[in-house]
Formats: sequence, C-alpha cells, structure tokens
Amino acid sequence: MKLAVFVSDYRLTADTLERLTSDKLGIIFVSNGVYHATIKEKGNSSALLKKNAQFYVLHDDLETRGLGGSDIAENVKLVSYGELVELIFNDYEKLAWL
Amino acid sequence: MATVKLGFIVQRPPYKSENPKLALTHAIASQSVEMYLNDGDLVTADLAFVGDGVLNCLKNQKAMDKYGLTSTESHIKSALMLDLSVMVCKEDLERFGLSEDDVVLDAEEFGADMVTKVVPYSEIAKMMEDSNHLLFF
Repeated sequence: MKLAVFVSDYRLTADTLERLTSDKLGIIFVSNGVYHATIKEKGNSSALLKKNAQFYVLHDDLETRGLGGSDIAENVKLVSYGELVELIFNDYEKLAWL
Repeated sequence: MATVKLGFIVQRPPYKSENPKLALTHAIASQSVEMYLNDGDLVTADLAFVGDGVLNCLKNQKAMDKYGLTSTESHIKSALMLDLSVMVCKEDLERFGLSEDDVVLDAEEFGADMVTKVVPYSEIAKMMEDSNHLLFF
C-alpha cells in the first residue's frame, strides 16, 4: 500500500506514525507540522525526518508562520497546493491525517 | 487605588489552535475595561511566550496573504501599540535555534514605543510571581 500521511502538529504524532506500515510512505507536513521540516530543537532535526519516507512540506503553511523554503531540511520537498493535489492523486493510494 | 496585574502565558505554537490568539485578544481586551473601574484603579497585562509558544513570535508571518487570517504577528504588534509588556523566553528561542533577530520586536510602523523583550525565563517567572491572576494558553 502507498500511504501518504499529513502531519499537522508539532507534538504528539510521532508514536502514531511508528505504528503505521506501508510499502511506500509519504509524510506531508502541513499546519503546525511544518515545524518538523524546519526547526532544529537543541540542534537536532525532527526525529520524523529519519524515517524511511518521502517528505513534503506545504509552502503556504510555512510562509503563514514566518518561515520559508530556505529554512527546510534537505530531504524535504517544498510543494504548493497544486503540487500537493497532484501528489496525493498520482503517487499514493491512501491518506491519513495526524 | 488598586492595580490588578494579569499575566498571560502562551505555551502553544500558533494557528493550529486558537489558544495563542485568544491570549493576545484577551490581553488586549483587558485594556478596555477602564470604564468599569474606579478612578485610579488599573488593570495591567503582561504577555509571555514560553516553550513552543515562542514560535508565535516569528516575524514575516503571511497568514493574511495565504489564508485571509489576521496573523499572530499583527496581534503582537497590536499589543505593543497598547503598551502591553511582551516577553519572549530566551532559552526557549535558543532551544529552537532562533534568536532575537527572528522575532517581532517592535511595531514602529504603527507608532508603538513598546518593544518585545527577549528575556531569560527567570524574568518571566518574576512576572508570574508578581501577577494577581495568571492565565495559561
């Protein structure tokens, strides 16, 4: 199964993600989830970014919070709303929202 | 003559929940109660951003451009315009790899004299001790 997971919070979602299994996993950072893509807490990137997954972050939600494309980790792809729709229709079979 | 000191502590990041914005709007609204007070009585409000709450203070928020929402940044500037004390925890900013350069420091464009203060947590703790009422958001 190809699963895309929207991560919309900065806290509390890591445990749930550990329990999800799929052949292909996409993690899409939206809302306050965008901090996973940008913030280095105590110098460390988010533990989520170590997972075996494709990572995406919604540009609009970054800019809403005063962040930008230059702030994101190297393994995270910046996507627009349009690109996000393409992604979930073409690359993934199931969606989950955390 | 009495002064009631309110302390608003924001500990959640912006936008996902209404809490941070409620803290700001409540603190701002607290300055409109003068008509109900006796002469010489005062209500003061201090705002402090701690923990994940410091993320509310990042500048260049584009919530209005992207979603038609008043940004937390503009609420902070409104608070400064009303001469509210706004404090941001230095240790928590540093924990996120952020500094004073990254946060909303003033509302000069609106003529505000007050500026945001990036302070050690001990200073926020002192404010909390001095407050008559503490409200956590």
